[in-house]
Amino acid sequence: MKIIEIKNLYKTYEDNSVPVHAVNGVDLSIEEGEFTAIVGPSGSGKTTLLNIVGGLDNATEGSVFIDGVDISKLSSRKMTDFRMHKIGFVFQAYNLIPVLTAKENVEFVMHLQGEKKAKRDARASELLKAVGLGTMMDRRPSKLSGGQQQRVAVARALASKPKFVLADEPTANLDSKSTENLLDIMEQLNKEEKITFIFSTHDQRVVNKARRVVMLEDGKIKSDLNKNQG
Amino acid sequence: MKTSIKLAWRNLWRNRRRTIIAISSIVFSVLLASWMRSMQEGSYASMIDNVVKFYSGYLQVQDTAYWEERTLENTIEVTPNLKNQIERIEDVTLVSNRLESFALAANHQHSKPAMVLGIEPEAEDRITAISKKIKDGAFLQTGDKGVVLGKGLADFLSLGVGDTLVMIGQGYHGISANGLFTIKGILDHPNPEFNKRLVFMEIENAREFYSTYGLSSSLVIMTDDHYEVGHLKKNIGAILPSDKTVMTWQDMQPEVVQMIKSDRAGGIVMLAILYMVIAFGMFSVVMMMVKERQREFGVIHAVGMKKQKLSVIVFWETVFIGIAGCIIGLIISYAFCIWFYYHPLPLTGETAEAYIQYGMEPYMFFSLKPSLFYNQMILVFFISVFISLFPVFNIHRLKITKALRA
Repeated sequence: MKIIEIKNLYKTYEDNSVPVHAVNGVDLSIEEGEFTAIVGPSGSGKTTLLNIVGGLDNATEGSVFIDGVDISKLSSRKMTDFRMHKIGFVFQAYNLIPVLTAKENVEFVMHLQGEKKAKRDARASELLKAVGLGTMMDRRPSKLSGGQQQRVAVARALASKPKFVLADEPTANLDSKSTENLLDIMEQLNKEEKITFIFSTHDQRVVNKARRVVMLEDGKIKSDLNKNQG
Repeated sequence: MKTSIKLAWRNLWRNRRRTIIAISSIVFSVLLASWMRSMQEGSYASMIDNVVKFYSGYLQVQDTAYWEERTLENTIEVTPNLKNQIERIEDVTLVSNRLESFALAANHQHSKPAMVLGIEPEAEDRITAISKKIKDGAFLQTGDKGVVLGKGLADFLSLGVGDTLVMIGQGYHGISANGLFTIKGILDHPNPEFNKRLVFMEIENAREFYSTYGLSSSLVIMTDDHYEVGHLKKNIGAILPSDKTVMTWQDMQPEVVQMIKSDRAGGIVMLAILYMVIAFGMFSVVMMMVKERQREFGVIHAVGMKKQKLSVIVFWETVFIGIAGCIIGLIISYAFCIWFYYHPLPLTGETAEAYIQYGMEPYMFFSLKPSLFYNQMILVFFISVFISLFPVFNIHRLKITKALRA
C-alpha cells in the first residue's frame, strides 16, 4: 500500500535572480513498511525533497500525496496537525527540547495530540525501553551522549504513531558504535512494527542497511534500487 | 496551558545568568522609579503640610463672597449645630473657627499693618502645632485677652513679652476698632511673611475687637489625608445653607497646586526616560532569547505544535520575567522607602535655607502612598507584556526550513 506518492515535483529557488532547481521533476512512491535511503551528493536535493514530503516546505510545482491526502492543498494550521499525526521526524542535530527530560521529550507530541497522562506515560516508557534508554528516562538532553539523544529523537518520532518517519542525516553526528546501535534499533522497529523509515544520508552504513536506495543528482532521481527485488 | 507554563518556566532557567540579569534590571528600575516618585510625593505632602496647614487648613467653610473680598462684612455665623454636623462627617478630624482681618499694630512711636488671626487656641494648635514655634512667653489659651506676635513684627516694633501693643483698625460695618493688648508670647513663624505681620488673638477677644460678635471669617476643617478632600467637600457642601460655601486647600492655594503639577510633570518625563531604558533593556534580552532559539522553535513547530501555542510559551517566559522583576522590585522598593520615610534626607546649604525661607522643614521627605509603588509595578508589567509581542510576531513569521538551518 502506497503511503507516499510524489508526482512531477519541482522546487525552484532564486539565487541572485538565477533559478536553481533543487528538486527537478521527481516522481516517487513509497510503500508502507519500506526502509528507504535517499542518497546523493551535497546539493542534490535530498533535504529539500524530505522537507517537502514532511510538509516543512512547499513545492513550486507538482503534488505530494500522503495517505491519499494532497498535502500541498492543506492550510498551514491543517499541515501542522497533519505532521503531528502522520509524520515522525528525526533531525541531524537531534533537536530535543533541552528543558525537558528524555521521557518528557517523547511525551511532548502525544501531549499535543491530547493523549491522557497515563497513556502518554506508558507509551513513552515503552518507546524509551525499546531504544535502550529505559534507565535514563529522567535525564535531560544535556546529560545524554549524542547517540543517546538521537535514540530519544527516534522514540519521539514514533510516539505519535506516525505513518512514516523522515530522518534527515540521522547518523551524521554520531560515532560508529552509536550509528550501528541506532540503525539496529530502527531496523528492528521497521521489521517488527512495520514502521516506514525514509532517510536522507551520505552514510554508507545507512545505505547498507536500507532495503531501497534512491539516488538523487541535481534534483532528479538518478537511480532507484530496491534490494528486495534485486 | 499547564504544559505551556511549565515549559516557559523551565526555559527561563536554562540561561540562569541572563534571566537573573533581566530580572535585576527590572528590580532596579522599579526601585529607582518608586524611590523617585516616593521622594516627589513625600516632598509635596510636606509642602502641603507646611504651607497649607499653617494657614488655610485642608478645607474651609466661608461666606460665598468671602474668598473674593476678604472683609468682615462677609463673615458667617457658625451655629453649634452646623459645627457638630461637620464634626460628625467621616474623615473630619478637627473643626475650628477663625476670624481674620487687618489692623494697624503700633507701639508708642511706630506702626505697621498686621494680619490679625482670631483663633480657638487649643484647636488651632492641634492644626498647626504653632505653640511649638513660641520663642518667648507662652501661647494663647481660651479666654486669654493678650496677643501673640510674629517675631518679625515684634522686632520691628521693639516690643517684648509683657509690653502693650496698640491696635487700630476698622470693625464690622465700619465701626472703629481700637484696643490695647498685652503681649503674651512671641513666635517665630516658619513663613517669613507671616512672621512680619501676624498677630494671634483668642477668637472671642478678636470678635470683641472687631465687633463681630458670634461671627467667623471661616470654619477650618482638618482631615488626615490631603489627597482625600474631594469627598469631604461634597459631603460638607451638602449640609451647608446657600449663603455658605466650602473650599478645599486646592481652591484656596492654586499656586501650590500649580507648582506641584509642573514639578510632577517634570518627574513624569524623567520616569518616561527611565521606562524607555527599561523597555530597551528587556527588549534586547528577549531578542537574544528569540534569535538563539530559532532552531528549537522550528523543531517544536515541525513536530506539531501550532505557532499560536508556541507564542503563548514565549509570551509566558517574558511575562514571568516581568512578574518576578516587578514583585521583587516592589518588595525591595517598599522596604527601601519605609527606611527613608522614617529617616528623611536632611538638606544642607542654600537649599536648606531656601526651604526654611518658604516655611518648610529642610528635609527631603518620602511618601508611602501604595499607588506610588503598585503603579510602577503595573507599568513595568505592561512594558514586559508589550515587549513579549516581539517573539509572538517572530514566531508568526517563522519558516521551519530556515529555522532548522539557524
